[in-house]
Amino acid sequence: MVIVFLVLLIILSAYTLVTRDLLYGVIALSAISLLSALLFYLLHAPDVAITEAAVGAGVSTVIFVWAIRATERFSPQDRPEKRNGSKGGKQ
Amino acid sequence: MRSKITGLFLFQVFLCLVTITLVLIPLFWTDIPWPTIARDHMENFGMAASGARNMVSAIYLGYRVFDTLGETIVLLVAVSGTIGIIAHGGDVLAKGFGDPSRNESLYQEKTTLVKKQRTALLEVVTGKLGPVVLVFGFYVMLFGHLSPGGGFQGGVVVASGIVFLALGGRADGSTRLTEAGVLAKLESISFLLLILASLSGVVFGGGFFANTLAQAGMPEVGFIVLLNAIIGLKVGAGIGFMCIAMLGRAE
Repeated sequence: MVIVFLVLLIILSAYTLVTRDLLYGVIALSAISLLSALLFYLLHAPDVAITEAAVGAGVSTVIFVWAIRATERFSPQDRPEKRNGSKGGKQ
Repeated sequence: MRSKITGLFLFQVFLCLVTITLVLIPLFWTDIPWPTIARDHMENFGMAASGARNMVSAIYLGYRVFDTLGETIVLLVAVSGTIGIIAHGGDVLAKGFGDPSRNESLYQEKTTLVKKQRTALLEVVTGKLGPVVLVFGFYVMLFGHLSPGGGFQGGVVVASGIVFLALGGRADGSTRLTEAGVLAKLESISFLLLILASLSGVVFGGGFFANTLAQAGMPEVGFIVLLNAIIGLKVGAGIGFMCIAMLGRAE
């Protein structure tokens, strides 16, 4: 069980690093926090689990999403008309 | 260009792995056993000395309470810095950097988008869930000496409840907990209470952070409950204030 969680954590962390959409990365970070909270609970550290779930999956996700909302999409590979079309689309 | 960036990324990953290996290998290869004196002492005498069944909260509010004071000050500085940045650069943060004319239209577009996204579902769910989350936060805060949790954890859950209320509450003033001024006063008063509670030991001849409630005849654990409540209020008000300021309602 612990090993499954650890492998999932590594996969999600790599996805957070390589994904091109910041919002997807933030949601993956939130999932990492949730998995870590479950892991802490399995390892008999419920205090840390509560902190991780509340801070990592709750408050920091809200703050990250609000920070991303203040940005706009830009990528050198995007064509200009595509960039204008997707401007502010998903955030 | 692209292969260069990929190569740099792989080199960074390699560097991280090497660092982790260098740190972890001595831990696993050592023949010296783990120190067990502190652990055995806590197991045998900790509960009798502090009265708290949750040993973690007995440690961070009894044996290592100076660490908690330091963490509280760190949080205070962090919240102050965030509020300072938002107060002086909030317009830039909200509109984005670069070309001002384009960003102005983008800002308007996003503002209308956000207003459109405030559906009845969001308002009903967060508005109804907020009080329940608040009650759970206060439970975690006040029962930190018995069950997992404590001031910091309960405070963060209370902050989540405050954010829920701010997201879901309509502007009819049914609660004043989401007003930035109230939260700021709450945080300042809790920090003052924390300083007073820590200084109260000096008045009764016990020293900084001495357990005055135990000297007055109350149970030993009372001081931990008091500190948990104060720290929870401070953390909840501080982080809630920060989130509400980022939501743009600090006026």
